[in-house]
Amino acid sequence: MNKQTSARRWRFGLIHLFPLPALAIYTLFIVYPILAAFTYSFYDWQGFKRGSWVGLDNFVDLFTREPFNRLFWNALGNNVYYFVLEMVVQNVLAFILAYIVYTRIKGAGFLKAAYFVPRLLSVIVVGFLFKLILNPNNGALNTLLKKVGLASWAKPWLGDPDTALTAIILVNCWFGMGFALLLFLAGLQSISREVIEAARIDGAVGFRLIRTVIMPMMMQSIIIVTVYTFIHAFEAFELVYAMEGSQGEPVNSTDTLAIFFYRVAFGGSGGADSTAVGLGSALAIVMFFIIATMSALFLYLTRNREVQQ
Amino acid sequence: MKRWSLVLAVAILFFGVVLAACGGNNSGSGGSSGSGTSTATAGSGSQSSGNSSSASSSSGEEKVVLTMGSWRTEDVEAYEKIIAAFNQHHPNIEVQFKPTKNTEYNTVLNTELSTGGGPDIIHLRPYAAGQVLADAGYLVPLTDLPGLEKFSETTLRAATGSDGVVYGVPTVFSSTQIFYNKKIFADLNLQVPSTWDELIATAETLKKNGIIPFSFGSKEGWLLSLTHGMLGPAIYGGSDFVQKVTTGQTNFQSEAFVASIQKLLDLVPYFPDNYVGLGMDDMRNLFVTEQAGMFVMGDWEIAVMKGMNPDLDMDAFPVPWPDGTQTITTWVDGSFAVNANSPNKEAALKFLEFMTTEEFGTLVVNELKKPSTIPGVVADDPLVAKLSQFADTISTPYMFVVYFNSGNPTSKSVLENSLQAMFLGEMTPAQVAEEVQKSVDTWFKP
Repeated sequence: MNKQTSARRWRFGLIHLFPLPALAIYTLFIVYPILAAFTYSFYDWQGFKRGSWVGLDNFVDLFTREPFNRLFWNALGNNVYYFVLEMVVQNVLAFILAYIVYTRIKGAGFLKAAYFVPRLLSVIVVGFLFKLILNPNNGALNTLLKKVGLASWAKPWLGDPDTALTAIILVNCWFGMGFALLLFLAGLQSISREVIEAARIDGAVGFRLIRTVIMPMMMQSIIIVTVYTFIHAFEAFELVYAMEGSQGEPVNSTDTLAIFFYRVAFGGSGGADSTAVGLGSALAIVMFFIIATMSALFLYLTRNREVQQ
Repeated sequence: MKRWSLVLAVAILFFGVVLAACGGNNSGSGGSSGSGTSTATAGSGSQSSGNSSSASSSSGEEKVVLTMGSWRTEDVEAYEKIIAAFNQHHPNIEVQFKPTKNTEYNTVLNTELSTGGGPDIIHLRPYAAGQVLADAGYLVPLTDLPGLEKFSETTLRAATGSDGVVYGVPTVFSSTQIFYNKKIFADLNLQVPSTWDELIATAETLKKNGIIPFSFGSKEGWLLSLTHGMLGPAIYGGSDFVQKVTTGQTNFQSEAFVASIQKLLDLVPYFPDNYVGLGMDDMRNLFVTEQAGMFVMGDWEIAVMKGMNPDLDMDAFPVPWPDGTQTITTWVDGSFAVNANSPNKEAALKFLEFMTTEEFGTLVVNELKKPSTIPGVVADDPLVAKLSQFADTISTPYMFVVYFNSGNPTSKSVLENSLQAMFLGEMTPAQVAEEVQKSVDTWFKP
């Protein structure tokens, strides 16, 4: 009896050892860099050489020194705008399209694949493609506008601070919609048909059916998509970099926190002229807390919104 | 079960701390989160290269192998020829040219140096970026290197530490000049302008004939400081102004500097449509496809443009000042320095000495197709020869690269940002000048 227990205990313990290799990699590539960034942010840096301990000076600089404080709030505002616009355009459209595919119209399978195709392209390719399309003088969009007599609408989309960020986000919506659509579709398909039939018989049709029956029952997918969009929007980098470079041009209008971080920590286009690793690390830490807190808060607030079937 | 998970948690924590400690020892240099991986690979790479060079130096009594780091992956063939020429003089010193991708070079080099490795001969970024390495003690001071006296003080600035000691041998200049389409100029009977007014008149004629006068766009900031660096000296008075501003006799809010920015704004009628949305590729395309007559650009684009349109008949002229003076803007593109950790400093210094000879200078202009920093070198290619001659005789420094590329953010990037805002109608030239002065004040004392 005793022997058996200890053998069982041993086996039970052994199971806990199996995740260790994965955990080691996780620690090396995720936990260690985060901790390292924490320590970096407390030092003064000369280029890539670590100087003396300066406590919270880097954080104070970030929030009080011109132009960093202004650029920080500007970039944060751009991230918020990124999130809101992606929610409204990308996710609402994705939901509508997912519902259309769900109703099994003719060609639903083809549509599902077609909507997802952009996602298979590299972000750099997408950025390059849309840079060509949005080119002010010989791009497809402005040429089209001129052809249909809307020449006055033609703009230097990526060169005008009023339109540059919106243009990038809309490209991102085109790119990311397929993924949101798949998640929504999975949520829709997990609702049993009987429930919907029953609701129909009870008189719930059209938008009412979606709002009162379907949406509450697929809350899980909606939460996942929202959190995913949030994290994605607050880490926005690749597409902005591909389309506007590391300077947040024009005039900081496309500066996101990640672009701002990259520029501060590693210098801009001119190489290592202006590296500020300490300040960059401080910024990375602030970003980490914003994303972690908001994601946790969001999950906490929505934990009871899901309706059990 | 509780006990097991506790043990596990402690084990993980311990493991993490050990890892963190190890990492901290051999790489005090990475960037921040996310750069941990590149640090690790770069570190191991440097160790192997360090080993190979020291091993080979100890195996043969006289034979020495040097490694040479660089960001010029395009120039492998050219450097092979240069090294072959060097070996005519020093057959026992083998030099291996090992370039790293341009955008990765700084990070790789920095991590290598901070772990005690790195190539024996270092291709040094010019000005502030190279100065950082000198100030960190990674480079051998070149106090008595023969041949260094050939270079002007402005040229040596590119490789001078903040202690005033020279740490590198500058090799090539980058220069900006106005390229023009010879065919279009000939068709319209235009001459190369010799005053600013003639330049404007030329632009006017081009415009009337449906040709874009200047292939220009303001979407990418670096092109704005580049263009100002080229055209600005004609208005603010070139090297004189630089001398005055660096000694505190004038500043960026002076009339001369504000006027130099105003003049850029005055050129707007001669820019392409929607120029605020155009970047480098668009500008190059307009000039290469012969839609534009003139192009304020650096010498490094010659090869690219010739590659895109071999039939393009182009030449270059310097910027004409209102009083008829002519200048092109130059700055040192890179220097070569010796790694303070190198086991073969003597041999490496021999190579640097070779880099101060006219023989090397001639190889540079003909193989790298760039103006040499060594005065009096003549190139085979007529355009390169012309630019080299300009660089020797009528050059003015690219002020914001040579003197004002420090601060955080750098004063150069403040200028770029402000100019961009100006072209978008959000700032006046006076406000641009004010922003630049504010930035310079944060770090610069005359």
